[in-house]
Amino acid sequence: MWDIIAVDISGRHRIKGGYYMVCAAAALTVSANYIEKVKQVKILPLWLKRAPSLLDVVQLIEDTADQLSFEGTIVAEKGDMYNKPRWVTESMFSRAFKYQESIAERRSIELVHHISQSARNLLIKELQIET
Amino acid sequence: MKISAEQKLGNGNRVILVKRATPNSDSEREEYLFQELRELAKAAGYLPVGELKQTRYPDSKYQLGKGKIEELAELVRSIGADKVIFYNRLSTTQLFNISEICKCQVIDKFQLILEIFAKRATTHRSKLQVELARLRYEIPRARAVVSLAKKEERAGFMGLGDYEDSYEQDLKKRIARIESELESAEKDDESLRALRHKKGFSLISLAGYTNAGKSTLFNAIVSESVDVRNMLFTTLVPTTRALDLGGRKALLTDTVGFIEDLPHWLVDAFKSTLNEIFLSDLILLVVDANEKPEMILLKLATSHDTLWDRIQGVPIITVLNKVDLVDESRLDSIMEQIGYMAPNPVFVSAKKGIGMDVLKAEIVKHLTPWCFCSLSLPNSEEGMSILSWLYDEGIVHRVEFGEQIHVDYEARTEIVNKAHALLGPKEV
Repeated sequence: MWDIIAVDISGRHRIKGGYYMVCAAAALTVSANYIEKVKQVKILPLWLKRAPSLLDVVQLIEDTADQLSFEGTIVAEKGDMYNKPRWVTESMFSRAFKYQESIAERRSIELVHHISQSARNLLIKELQIET
Repeated sequence: MKISAEQKLGNGNRVILVKRATPNSDSEREEYLFQELRELAKAAGYLPVGELKQTRYPDSKYQLGKGKIEELAELVRSIGADKVIFYNRLSTTQLFNISEICKCQVIDKFQLILEIFAKRATTHRSKLQVELARLRYEIPRARAVVSLAKKEERAGFMGLGDYEDSYEQDLKKRIARIESELESAEKDDESLRALRHKKGFSLISLAGYTNAGKSTLFNAIVSESVDVRNMLFTTLVPTTRALDLGGRKALLTDTVGFIEDLPHWLVDAFKSTLNEIFLSDLILLVVDANEKPEMILLKLATSHDTLWDRIQGVPIITVLNKVDLVDESRLDSIMEQIGYMAPNPVFVSAKKGIGMDVLKAEIVKHLTPWCFCSLSLPNSEEGMSILSWLYDEGIVHRVEFGEQIHVDYEARTEIVNKAHALLGPKEV
């Protein structure tokens, strides 16, 4: 069993007035092919006037993961990190980082993707943000 | 003049292999991918006579730099190559431009895979699948192909746009026809799977990276003799055989291997074949243990990538094959590195027959558990016929003949329920 923090960011496309992104992070315990336990989930929104850079993405992920009370390797989709090679992104994080590989890690990313997307949809509706 | 076997093989099949690497990419990994291209070319029956590499970002016109393409054209002329194979995906314009300069046929890795599949396709269905994959590959290029082919033509009757539309339409119609034919084959498969489940068979499939030794393991475990070669994509048409697991019946299917960057249109075209894996009750994920841990990880990642979205919580056993070639301490260090990607690992050597019993025990552990039951049957013709039926459907552990027949047996729930309905259980 391994402790991971799966992260995903929704809303990296331009809407009226800038970029409204929501990052979701889930602390999970996984085996090679199953999610064994979901321990905690946190979300964090971010408004940006300009297009997000890789550094913005890293900062947002770090801030969201910091809200969790559990430790673990941060696992993200390569697309979220602008398809940068692992050694580039790994060196930018203050904690262990990797791209999704195993079935369980892919399932975890799927889970946080749905969380971040639905949280963003809800926030956009509730805060009446124009898209 | 004598012609050597190599020259014979190379007759009309002499190829130059080309790969563009992205700057700052891992050189070891690039070498491995190039080696895979060499293996693919050999599997398609080509004789690689030259190689060319360049590290740069892709050029929209030629994929490589103009100078490098001219160097390639010179190499084609001097070696007398018949074809150029690119590792990188080429757009129609790139294909056209490169072949104009090199004056020979140019294909990319995906066309090469299609060629291999076309050669290996023996059944009607696999031929249809290959044709479907080829058409799906061609359709986004259809318009550009026609435009480039008649670059010099002038507009007139049936000129310009008309050809392009009709060619694309023609491809779409053919795709639709093949899809409907494959759909009906899929329905047949579904009913066959349902029938097999009803008959009490557990469906197990072999999955893994191409050339991992799936067919060798298949032969070893079911005592079969399917074609085994040290070559990529030896198996294309799935083979299913019965597997005896100490009385439990299972069907083991050997099927096509995975490869890195396998495009989705190819996976979709082979959906009905790959469904054998995706819809099975248990997957044996075969891995070549006699490779560097980084390579094993890469191949496992490719397999996980192909499987993860298509299997619905099906258990996986990771079979580390070729362990006879690896010493124990190295095996421990490999496991330390790949553990997080290898569910339920089992070490075997299909060639030497090592670890087959352990593998079978692991398989039984992951199949739906059977119920243990005791029955007292009347010592009559009817009782004997039920006993014979129990022998067919389950595992009979103990029989005592007396005034009554006492049977201890193990079977799936449906059989136990049916037996209960026939006679009341004495003890469960």
